[in-house]
Amino acid sequence: MQSPLLSVDDLHVAAGGVDVVHGVSFDLAPGEAIGLVGESGSGKTLTCRAILGVPPPGVTVSGGAIRLAGEDVSRYSRRQWDRVRGPRVAAVFQDPASYLNPSLTVGRQLDEVLRVKNGLDRRAARTRAVELLASMGLHRPEHVHDQYPYELSGGMLQRVLIAIAVSGDPDLLVADEPTTALDVTVQAEVLDLIAALRAERRLSLLLVSHDLAVVAQLCDRVVVLRHGRVVESGPTRRVLDDPADPYTRQLVADHREYGLDRLVTR
Amino acid sequence: MRALRLAVRLRPAKLALAVLGLVVVLMAVGDTIAPYDPLHQDTTAILAGPSAEHWLGTDYVGRDVLSRLLAGSRLSVVAAAEAVGLGLLLGVLPGLASVYFGRVFEWLSLRVMDGLMALPFIIFAIAVAALLGNGLHQAMFAVGVLLAPTFYRVTRAAAIGLRQAQYVEAGTLFGATRWRIVRTHVWQKVLPTVVVTTATAMAGALLVVSSLTFLGIGVQPPAPTWGGMLASDLGYLTQRPFGPVAPALLIIVTVAALNALADAIRDATGDGAPASAAPLHEEVPDAISAAVRR
Amino acid sequence: MTAAPAAALQADGVEVWLGRRAKSRILHGVGLTARSGEIVGLIGETGSGKTTLARAIVGLAPLHAGTVRVDGTPVDGLRGAALRRFRRSGRVQYVFQDPLRSLDPDVTVLDSVVEGLAIRGDGKAADRRARAVAALEQVGLDPALGDRLPGRLSGGQRQRVAIARALAVDPRVLLLDEPVSALDAANRNHVLRVLDRLRHEREVAIVMISHDLGSLAGIADRVVVLYRGEVVEEGPAARVLLEPEHPYTQRLVTSVPSIDGPRRPLITEGVHV
Repeated sequence: MQSPLLSVDDLHVAAGGVDVVHGVSFDLAPGEAIGLVGESGSGKTLTCRAILGVPPPGVTVSGGAIRLAGEDVSRYSRRQWDRVRGPRVAAVFQDPASYLNPSLTVGRQLDEVLRVKNGLDRRAARTRAVELLASMGLHRPEHVHDQYPYELSGGMLQRVLIAIAVSGDPDLLVADEPTTALDVTVQAEVLDLIAALRAERRLSLLLVSHDLAVVAQLCDRVVVLRHGRVVESGPTRRVLDDPADPYTRQLVADHREYGLDRLVTR
Repeated sequence: MRALRLAVRLRPAKLALAVLGLVVVLMAVGDTIAPYDPLHQDTTAILAGPSAEHWLGTDYVGRDVLSRLLAGSRLSVVAAAEAVGLGLLLGVLPGLASVYFGRVFEWLSLRVMDGLMALPFIIFAIAVAALLGNGLHQAMFAVGVLLAPTFYRVTRAAAIGLRQAQYVEAGTLFGATRWRIVRTHVWQKVLPTVVVTTATAMAGALLVVSSLTFLGIGVQPPAPTWGGMLASDLGYLTQRPFGPVAPALLIIVTVAALNALADAIRDATGDGAPASAAPLHEEVPDAISAAVRR
Repeated sequence: MTAAPAAALQADGVEVWLGRRAKSRILHGVGLTARSGEIVGLIGETGSGKTTLARAIVGLAPLHAGTVRVDGTPVDGLRGAALRRFRRSGRVQYVFQDPLRSLDPDVTVLDSVVEGLAIRGDGKAADRRARAVAALEQVGLDPALGDRLPGRLSGGQRQRVAIARALAVDPRVLLLDEPVSALDAANRNHVLRVLDRLRHEREVAIVMISHDLGSLAGIADRVVVLYRGEVVEEGPAARVLLEPEHPYTQRLVTSVPSIDGPRRPLITEGVHV
């Protein structure tokens, strides 16, 4: 096996001095997609925030290491993170609207990232931005470029956020519940987009979700968290079809209790 | 309500409340503990400095300054409270009503308040004094009326955000009357804002009583008030340069305490959202659904 | 026509306009029927008008045209005191999408559940509390949580409080706006079981707005598909979800992710949202 792109080793995260993530470990190989699943309060979001170096206020990494391409980033300074974010790691979250400035056009915000991170001049940044928006499957990208966030739907905003995320050509994309707030049809489109980007760009993916079906769409492997501990991890099909841990079995059973498949069998 | 309770626990708020408590005690017993009759003129000691007999000296007709300060505390504070109370009544109720009781009232009340805000303060006070007679209550009536728009505006601003709140809609769907909605859902969200404004307005009113007295409107000599003493002492600055210090200090300390209290409440209320509205970071493990699963 | 008992809820030809022009139309000639003991799923994307329909039915959005009947009696014309009297009967209850916003953050859970009964003026205070406690138990919540503020509950618990508040007044018709979309599987199952029990034990007519087709497949008898303010398809849940006829419904059904692995990628031509 080649050396992992991301290696989380015995990660402890404390909120207000009390450990809430107790020794989470997993490796993510280049080009691989891992799903981090668990119910609310399982620590999946805190783990993901710690990996991105943006823990919520009052939350700190209290032990263990997070190695990105071999370098421990868990105690990086702000300045060090600035170097890593963009070319190495980028992220998208559940509510794209809150990550965009409502008083600037989305294009201007994408241009700015391209100019700061990729050193493009104003004109080149705009050209590149429109290209990126087009490759996100957005119709009339020049038009979208000049629109304000409130003029776009949730699905379009999430595409813009993904465009911003991949603009620095990162090795790893961290997606925290990227489709939870979207309609089913839009969710499907965004999942397709992420799958296509992975194939095109050899992008590694860390997907955080409470929805096992979403994880089943994109991920090679699954890590199941409960109360801040890994209860099971392994290839997606093996974990979902033949879960070894009773908790995972319960999660899968809960998920399967209601679903379109029931109609077929009844 | 939670915000208010939270605020009172802050250190500056405790200090401010202690000072205000002292002022209230002065109001209650000020004239009985005064060493001299505040109106008694001791012609042998005019504009005297501090001494064993007169701790804070005497004024331009030989009255004991300490006694006048003590005796004047009730009149000064009661006058300010009178004005603020009237402002509250004329501001808060229409402010709430303008949000919840229809467009007609909303429009009318807004225009009335605009009109009041356009009135020049001193001229209005003089007109009221001319019309209703020159006395403390008439002056405070004028001040209270002019304070109303402030209360109206802040109450309305705080309440208008709640007009579309879903828990207000939910109450409406249960068939609640507007009055009930205001009582159960709106009032306690608006209260901290109103209390902050009251404290600030109280401070302002104390100063206004002083400046009106300075102009000869309101309290009539020889009755003592803090503002009145400050005004008369200023006239004798050359003979008794430290004269205005004692009444000024009293006014400043009381006003500062009121402002500190207002600040503390504002801090505890945060950016206007009740502290309880913030969701938890880590959600409580759901014991029931765990039990159901077993 | 007169022989059949009137549906618990019947809305016909509902039109909702945002402004004065037909261009601002949000709902166009929408009909929705729910019988006692029936669960009707209302499906549609963001902006399709499904929330507006529910709000129009309970009188939170003004009807431009159309009627809403509850047990055969028109209720859309009620105003003022008559409207309040009808609302106090508690016959139609609406559960908002986000309980964090529909529960007053400064009012304890129990007091929120008591509110409907208190407004109606039912019985003594102790009596109302007992009924509120019973409603909390009915949705599987520990009554000990009643002293908490909504901010101190998990998302699943809050959603159940919102449902308990509606149940406390003993409704005939229950409209729920996305009651499970924000919940994880265990909590979702719990809420769905509560609804299923209500329909059987208390014969409540339930309208459930959802874009979670899996949940609807599990409990809905019929589904109505709303697209751009119009009903484009309706019928028995199994028929609509297994053999959808309208292109939008077809697209919707093929979009549902499955735990059993990747679906075929969507063909992005055609309907674009």
